[in-house]
Amino acid sequence: MKTILRSRLLWLMLPALVIAAVGPWWLSAYYLGVLTMAYYFGVFAMSWDLLFGYAGMVNFGPTFLIGLGAYGAALLDTYAGAPIVVCLIFGGLMSIIGGILLALPALKLRGAYFGLVTLVAVLLLRYFIVIFSGFTGGEIGMMVPDILSIDTATNYEYALWFMAASALILVIISRSSLGLILEATGQDPIAAAALGFNVAKHRLAAFCISALFSGLAGGMMVFYSGTASVGTVIDISIGVQIIIAAVVGGRRTILGAMIGSIVILLADELLRPLGQLNIFVVSGICLAVIIVFPGGLLGLMHRQREGA
Amino acid sequence: MEGSHVMAKNVLEVEHLQKRFGGLVAVKDIGFTLKAGEILGLIGPNGSGKSTVMKMVMGIEKPNAGRVVLDGTDIAGWPTAKIAHQGIGLVFQHSRPLHRQTVLENIKLALLPDSLLRLVADPSHDERARAIADRVGLGGVLDRLPSTLPFADLRRIEMAKALAREPKVVLVDEPFAGLTPREVADFSALIHGFREEGRAVLLVDHNVKSVAALVDRALAMYLGEEIASGTAEEVTRNETVRKVYMGGEIAAHPRPDLVQTSGSPLMQVKDLSVRYGKAQALEGVTLDVREGEFVSVVGLNGAGKSTLFNAISGLLPKSGEVVWDGAPTTGRSVAQIARGGIVQCPETRELFGYMSVRENLDLGGAHLEEAERTAQLESLLELFPRLRDRAKQAANTLSGGEQQMLAIARALMMKPRLLILDEPTLGLAPVILDQLSQALHRLRDTTGITVLLGEQNVTFALPHSDRIYVLQHGHIVWEGKPDAFGAEMGDQYL
Amino acid sequence: MTAIQILIDGFVISALYGLGAIGFTLIFGVTGVLNLAHGGIMVIAALVGWDAANRFSLDPYGAAALGVLAGLIAAYVTYFVVIRPIQRSKRIPADETEIFILTATLLWGVMIQEGMAYLFSDNPVTMRPLLPGVVHILGDRTPVNELMIGVLCWVVIGLLWLVVYRTRFGKPLLAASENPRALGLLGFEMSNIHLFSWTIYGILTGVAGVLLASFLGVSSASAGGLTASAFSIVVLGGLGSVWGSLIAAYVVGYMETITAYVISPQLRPIPALIVLVLVVYLRPQGILGRR
Repeated sequence: MKTILRSRLLWLMLPALVIAAVGPWWLSAYYLGVLTMAYYFGVFAMSWDLLFGYAGMVNFGPTFLIGLGAYGAALLDTYAGAPIVVCLIFGGLMSIIGGILLALPALKLRGAYFGLVTLVAVLLLRYFIVIFSGFTGGEIGMMVPDILSIDTATNYEYALWFMAASALILVIISRSSLGLILEATGQDPIAAAALGFNVAKHRLAAFCISALFSGLAGGMMVFYSGTASVGTVIDISIGVQIIIAAVVGGRRTILGAMIGSIVILLADELLRPLGQLNIFVVSGICLAVIIVFPGGLLGLMHRQREGA
Repeated sequence: MEGSHVMAKNVLEVEHLQKRFGGLVAVKDIGFTLKAGEILGLIGPNGSGKSTVMKMVMGIEKPNAGRVVLDGTDIAGWPTAKIAHQGIGLVFQHSRPLHRQTVLENIKLALLPDSLLRLVADPSHDERARAIADRVGLGGVLDRLPSTLPFADLRRIEMAKALAREPKVVLVDEPFAGLTPREVADFSALIHGFREEGRAVLLVDHNVKSVAALVDRALAMYLGEEIASGTAEEVTRNETVRKVYMGGEIAAHPRPDLVQTSGSPLMQVKDLSVRYGKAQALEGVTLDVREGEFVSVVGLNGAGKSTLFNAISGLLPKSGEVVWDGAPTTGRSVAQIARGGIVQCPETRELFGYMSVRENLDLGGAHLEEAERTAQLESLLELFPRLRDRAKQAANTLSGGEQQMLAIARALMMKPRLLILDEPTLGLAPVILDQLSQALHRLRDTTGITVLLGEQNVTFALPHSDRIYVLQHGHIVWEGKPDAFGAEMGDQYL
Repeated sequence: MTAIQILIDGFVISALYGLGAIGFTLIFGVTGVLNLAHGGIMVIAALVGWDAANRFSLDPYGAAALGVLAGLIAAYVTYFVVIRPIQRSKRIPADETEIFILTATLLWGVMIQEGMAYLFSDNPVTMRPLLPGVVHILGDRTPVNELMIGVLCWVVIGLLWLVVYRTRFGKPLLAASENPRALGLLGFEMSNIHLFSWTIYGILTGVAGVLLASFLGVSSASAGGLTASAFSIVVLGGLGSVWGSLIAAYVVGYMETITAYVISPQLRPIPALIVLVLVVYLRPQGILGRR
């Protein structure tokens, strides 16, 4: 715990959080909307970084977990009319259960193979949603009867505090004993096992934590936008964006993933005047960042601080 | 039971351990016992199976047969983590600490219970970690990051991590690799400390020499089998061990007619140093090879022979210089160096296993003109007739001896001006050694080729050599004519 | 007759899948790169070929040739701009090169997809058939073009086999997939071998893209799906094994075609994906993988 309080970065985050919290006073409704989405993406990317950066697992299918959470929440709301909180928890549970079903056999697989299984899981989930379109709304998506709020500012605050809470918890986990063991298993599973750590157990735990936050965030996003659709929570392109945000922000930092998501989504908006080319340009910038500064944005900050 | 001696009872009993990798039997039938407070050296050259035995004890490899009994419980085939809890610890040769954590945090990691629910470490851990750090000599660098520490300290971290679990049995992989003599003394004292605390210690190393002063008993392995056991001195004197390491009687057959000792050398190695990360593998090596000469670099496994050759071939970053035919090779690619005439036949042979013998040879001769290639191929098939019979066979279906011949022939297809032969006798039966020896002799006498041979087996190297260098711990410690070797170096070598 | 239709359609689809996947597996085998922009390169070849045909009113063959050329150029750009800087970077730790190449090619794939959508919109386009007309095979109406595509795929695969197994340029490629280190010691420049592999890769992938556009049609949005299917087929067959990839392509191709005809076109990819997951769990080295 002491190390967390000592983390300079976390203290730097506090004023940033305050500035963000008063966002509705100085930001247009449009940008509040953009940032709301960016905050949910931040949670996705942080969850992904816990798996990749600490446990060393390359999950190509973060949207499998997100989609389960989103659709789990949406279905319960639509067909059982449960309160939003219950739906969110249900979505998180769905995500964990799905994550365990996917992860248990996959835990023994290495690198690319694990990645492929997670990728295929997304494709399968997508097809099932499309096939059962009578129930799930298929490609078009399903409207949910409840939403968090109709007020942009309220929605913004929900997303912000949800992200801040997730970030705090994930950072604490990553710097806790569990995080230390995860990092050891990610770096060298054999050496970790020789120290008496059950590698599979810890990997599964990491997967469940990642699933829980992905699923919750997926559910929150559904109740923010009022719909669950394949295009917004399951498509592989969403997963790609999450991975890119985490790597560009700085892998193995949790907070870097959050910063990466916000920067990328904002850049997407700022470059909107380029029309269709904006994603092209943003991707190009990200590519350049990855090649030139492999440590990502946070790594860059560290480097400058050390240099100064 | 059978272990009921008057002395302390056995902590670890290993019986009839066996391991196969596909068709290859890596460990045939190994057994040994360890008492509390005892140090056993498990030695053997590269590929003898000693590391596999160590991994099986730790559960990193699953044995195909046999028992590993720790304090009365058979733990053979258990998962590694469970074996660690049962009381075995392993000090890895290659240290991979967590780079973003301090030394103290790295040690604390090893103290953590295997539990998901403890987010905050027990406060007592801090004190224990500091105590352990003091014991292994890390007390002064607790808050440093591993990347800022010298190599020996990184190894101390590994020691500390293994100790944190209070293991009954400690396995140490190559305890002294890459350490300076002074550090070797420190580490020896540390390992002695384990004994005093009543731990059983298994040291795994290439040769008896480095662990002789430390071990109560030693067990020597070769080709997956035990070849000798007893005190370090008994093992050193053992006939079979001497044969395996040196090839038996040391005898020199110098070429009387040769050698123009004058003239500029074909290759000069000047003050060459190589580091693997922080470990110093070679330091200030200087040697030269003249046109037509057959020079041997002898030394035990781990002395740095392959490192030297790989640095010459441009495979490793180095400091110092290699001057080839009057010009430094600095900045040339591996392929350029090879095409320039320095051709290495590596210890690991590096054959294209799924390709035929003929295809392997053709790839070696790919840079020659058609007619030249055919002629060279013909002359090599004369030299190694077996390869002619096996021309269409896939390389990985050949016997060990045939593979070695193919590797040499493939290197010779490049028509090298200097052939670097790294450890050609590795893992070969004595009969094959004779054939190989004859082939080398014919090569030396008929082609006037220049050869730089790296060998642990001195008896194999000596008869061919015009000049010998002895490499120990990354340093050249002796240089001279083969007939002087027996008198000046013979006793100190093993 | 459905059975005949399944037989023919399955054959052609599988051949196309095979051709698409061979390049992917070749470049992985020889250079160790999993190129997640693979589908993007196919799309570039297809769209440039289609556009050239319209713009310069070329005959189908000329257009196809231009398309393949575009695929080749795209492959070179992938290698020189995206992959080589990462492989040579001193700041990226060696054991993380793989994830960096995956992320970078992923990004590059997105750039290609978006760039193509900008230039050519994301409407699916179909290239004019190389050969017009239909034939009747056992009562089944089959476009000549479809047969032609199936045959062309196999001709290209045959040519590749000839180059790799029967020429002095090809042998080092095979050798590099087994043991690149030894190849260096035998005087082969790895950079030349990599360049040669990327050349072959570009041509193969370009041809696959152009033929796909002529048979099924392609849009800029197809890029991701094409990469995923090549990746799946290659893992199913065993990473780095060319023959494994061909077998896997036929397994997947026929399974999809049968599902589409017999059960429902909607379920087309599902059985193959499930088989893939099972294979990865039970036999991670794939059908013909060596490890």
